[in-house]
Amino acid sequence: MIRFLVPIVCLVLFFVEPIFGLFSPLSISGSLYYVVPRFLILFLIFLTVFYELRHALFYGLFFGLLYDVFYIDIIGLYSFLYPAVCLIAAYFFKKIPQNLLSATLLALGLLIAMEVALYLFFLLIGLTDAPAGTFLTSRLWPTLIANALYLGLLGWVFRSMMVTQDPQRGTKFGLY
Amino acid sequence: MPQFLSNKRLILLLIGVILLVALISLTLRDRGQVSLPEQIVKEAVGAGQSVFSRPAHFVTGVFDNIDSLINTFEENRLLKARLEEFAGVQAEVTDLRSENEELKELVGKEEDLREYNPIQAVVIARNPDQWEEKIILNRGTNHGVKENMAVMTAGGLIGKVTIVTPTTSTVELVTTQNPNYRVSAMVLGEDDVFGLIEGYDAERRELLLKRIDFSVDLKEGDQVVSSGLGGIFPKGIVIGEITEVTIDEFGLTKLAYVKPAADFSMLNHVVIADRLAPEVDGEDNGMTEDEEEES
Repeated sequence: MIRFLVPIVCLVLFFVEPIFGLFSPLSISGSLYYVVPRFLILFLIFLTVFYELRHALFYGLFFGLLYDVFYIDIIGLYSFLYPAVCLIAAYFFKKIPQNLLSATLLALGLLIAMEVALYLFFLLIGLTDAPAGTFLTSRLWPTLIANALYLGLLGWVFRSMMVTQDPQRGTKFGLY
Repeated sequence: MPQFLSNKRLILLLIGVILLVALISLTLRDRGQVSLPEQIVKEAVGAGQSVFSRPAHFVTGVFDNIDSLINTFEENRLLKARLEEFAGVQAEVTDLRSENEELKELVGKEEDLREYNPIQAVVIARNPDQWEEKIILNRGTNHGVKENMAVMTAGGLIGKVTIVTPTTSTVELVTTQNPNYRVSAMVLGEDDVFGLIEGYDAERRELLLKRIDFSVDLKEGDQVVSSGLGGIFPKGIVIGEITEVTIDEFGLTKLAYVKPAADFSMLNHVVIADRLAPEVDGEDNGMTEDEEEES
């Protein structure tokens, strides 16, 4: 029962992301704000820090590949970024106090890093020509705020979901 | 996972990175062509996505309904005022339509660039990282959708089909930064003026209508529609209206800023236009051989 929980949550988040994407861009008093839902990668970061890196890497690669093929049509972009972000998360989480707040802040910090990396990539291949200032105000901050809201609401759910599974990890092999 | 960066792992990681970079450059080059595994993934994800998008569209539909209920009184008053005009306009339209048909018969013209077969489609997803402006529809080659067909809403043109699989199609919106994205357009007026929609000004949120003859006078507020001369789009799909006319960067032709008529923010139901007149290979960029002969 519990072994299916993580893939199901991943799948649901993967499908819910583009639906929230339909609401964006938000136009508030004349200016556009792009809110990019990053539900899946934030969940994977939580999976990394509260459960296990290897599962997060696997799901990151798998869903990153799906994301690339279905939405982006540039194969290798997200299937590289998702596992890479999980690796960095695992590396940094060992060096900071391990609680929900620090995990949330770490996840949001990595989200900023990922958005900036994506911005640089798309700038490089010429799919965008937005200056850095526009990127900051119309994309990074709205995205960060929306995703912080999402983590604030659901972060503790994710953690409790993973922490309750923690003791069983040693006894049952191949739980996921 | 103690010490995950041992030597063996490091080599594996490096090989992985190299593979991914190779894949990225490979898929960046020939976009538009879909390999079989990609197609299978697209089909599968598309099927899952339609399951999720249906309740979402229902919920947004309910909110839309509530929203329009609130405005009903005001709208009703406005519409009543317009109703009197409408009767007159309708009589004129019927008159013109029958006259048009008679004239067409007179000259023996059968094919019309205006006529198209509408394919109704529902937006099942919008590219969630909105770097490239793309939407995905629930209609594909099984329903007669082909590459490069025009996609529009009730408001006007929104984009064209770039990738099709049997049951899904990917639409690149006109607000893209892709430099190869062109639409043959014309400005309605006493004399029709032809140009190409090329590029999008992200800051002004307006399309650029380029390659307009320098001697032509354009006015702000003139309507821009698709010309049908590019070979794939039908004629007469509303694109938007002109907000400013300037000279292009080389000073040889004019450039007009066009405010799109369609609303791109909440796309739900769209129509894919399957032109009845024979289609010409190309990308509706006015660059095919046949088009040059035509114009």
